[in-house]
Amino acid sequence: MQKKGSDSEITAKPIISGLSRSTRIIRNLTLIIPVTILLVIIIVAIFADLVAPCDPVRMSLPDRLSPPFWAEGGSTEHLLGTDKMGRDILSRLIFGARISLSISLLVILITSFVGTVLGIIGGYLGGRTEAFLMRITDISMAFPPILVAMLLCVSMGPSFATVVVSISLLGWAPYARLIRGETLRLREEDFVSQARTIGSSPIRIMIRHIFPNIINPLIIVMTLQIGLLIITEASLSFLGVGIPPPAPSWGNMINDGRNLVDTAWWISTFPGIAIGLVVLSGNFLGDWLRDKLDPRLRQL
Amino acid sequence: MVRFIILRLLQSVIALVGIAILIFVVVRVSGDPALMLATATSTEEDIQQIRVNLGLDKSLPEQFWIFATDVVKGDLGESLFKKKPVTELIGAALPNSIRLVIPSWVVAMLGALLLGVLGATRRDGFLDNGVKFIAILGQALPGFWVAIVAVYFFSVRWQLLPAFGTGGPDHYVLPVLTLAFFLLPGMMRLVRSSMMDVLDSEYVKLARIKGLPEKTIIFKHALRNALIAPLTVAGMLFAGLITGAVIIETVFSWPGIGWVLMEGVLARDFPLVQAIVILVAVFVLGINLLVDITYAYIDPRIRYQKS
Repeated sequence: MQKKGSDSEITAKPIISGLSRSTRIIRNLTLIIPVTILLVIIIVAIFADLVAPCDPVRMSLPDRLSPPFWAEGGSTEHLLGTDKMGRDILSRLIFGARISLSISLLVILITSFVGTVLGIIGGYLGGRTEAFLMRITDISMAFPPILVAMLLCVSMGPSFATVVVSISLLGWAPYARLIRGETLRLREEDFVSQARTIGSSPIRIMIRHIFPNIINPLIIVMTLQIGLLIITEASLSFLGVGIPPPAPSWGNMINDGRNLVDTAWWISTFPGIAIGLVVLSGNFLGDWLRDKLDPRLRQL
Repeated sequence: MVRFIILRLLQSVIALVGIAILIFVVVRVSGDPALMLATATSTEEDIQQIRVNLGLDKSLPEQFWIFATDVVKGDLGESLFKKKPVTELIGAALPNSIRLVIPSWVVAMLGALLLGVLGATRRDGFLDNGVKFIAILGQALPGFWVAIVAVYFFSVRWQLLPAFGTGGPDHYVLPVLTLAFFLLPGMMRLVRSSMMDVLDSEYVKLARIKGLPEKTIIFKHALRNALIAPLTVAGMLFAGLITGAVIIETVFSWPGIGWVLMEGVLARDFPLVQAIVILVAVFVLGINLLVDITYAYIDPRIRYQKS
């Protein structure tokens, strides 16, 4: 078994361009499908007002707990059924996508900025600054973001801003760790020492010489973070410390259906599938980008 | 080595003070604890009285000093709603959490080791693809959703296992397995990739050339080295375990720390939530410390580099 595996590995290396047709098609599909799914969900989220068939928060008790259209008793009026207050599941999913994605995007922008700045500073300056920054990074990575969210939720109350702030407070750490490692490597490169020789200031070197060289790993981590953030946000909303009802979020929709799984499975099932699809797509896209841009980062 | 441990211990203490300051500031900046306690009928004097009771009328450094000395003395305050010391509430719930977390951890680790090694040694085989599939799925599906689906099938549909609460051994099956599912995929991926790197290394090739049996190579030579990389994520693993425990305890109404925490959040019982956060911070620092010391013990380079 072992022998066979390592043999094929050796022979496969020099002829990567000669991959069999089917392997190439599968490889392309693992890019095309996730990108299509993400694009569709992003477009739907942006144009939620036009796409959604109903108002996501309008209650209608006569229509409550109506099943999806293909199940017995379902109607095409509510394609994916309604919840216990008669709200349309499909519309809530669509508006939920808008909330989940905008939280993820905001958090990614904030955390990647902070993490990159701290990572470059720590890696380039070294010494005490680096030791101090890395200690904070380690602690931040080991601290569960859910607890921060709960603490903030108790003092500020649950809201969109609370979610963004509490995930961002710790979320910069993975960026800082990676960027610092990359900076350490770049610091020893010839072009950096040459820039130093001609008298470039540390700030100029960090911005003009180091930053352009860490954009690839940065993009990879940002993409891989999408999934993680979607799940974190959903977990917070599921626990009731995220997006406050009645606003729809995939997490609080799953919570809505939690005690009704035996009678109305569709309430929790569809948001779960939506989360799974986005996370899978994000991870596949991130993996593809990593293989394409920077295969050294296989451990991420 | 002793020097390294002392330095590292000192760093942890400083970090703890830092975290205490952070918690203190975040809470004071983000809301007025007195207003949280006030009811609709409270007058301005009532609120002022609450402030005096909580010591909020004193200056900030003074407040921090009181807060810090109380924490050091182990006095984490009194729950606002249960009117009991929070340490008592936490103490009562802790054993339940431990009973849930330890079996899950063992299941997840054994599963990750077994599947990770199997995947790495049968690269791209049927089993390896299965392992990759579990890893991908496990990282894509939210744990609480998996738990709900599991409850639906095993408790509601087939009525094999209880859906919530504590009791006999059968009450453990669903919570333990679903919590293990939080940790398994990531760990498995790590064991697999780290094992694959080691299997490609020169010394494993040498062992093969020597003609050692495959079993000895995998378990005696490769696995030991392959386990160092997963050790680095022990800290992050702890974060995952806490997150998982809070969610799983909520889904299964399991009376552990996570459950107490959730109750505290819903009742906006501020001292209770704060105490649990501080407790977890202490644990996080302790685990980081242990990991670093273990590392320095295994790898002398770290000892000298840091001191």
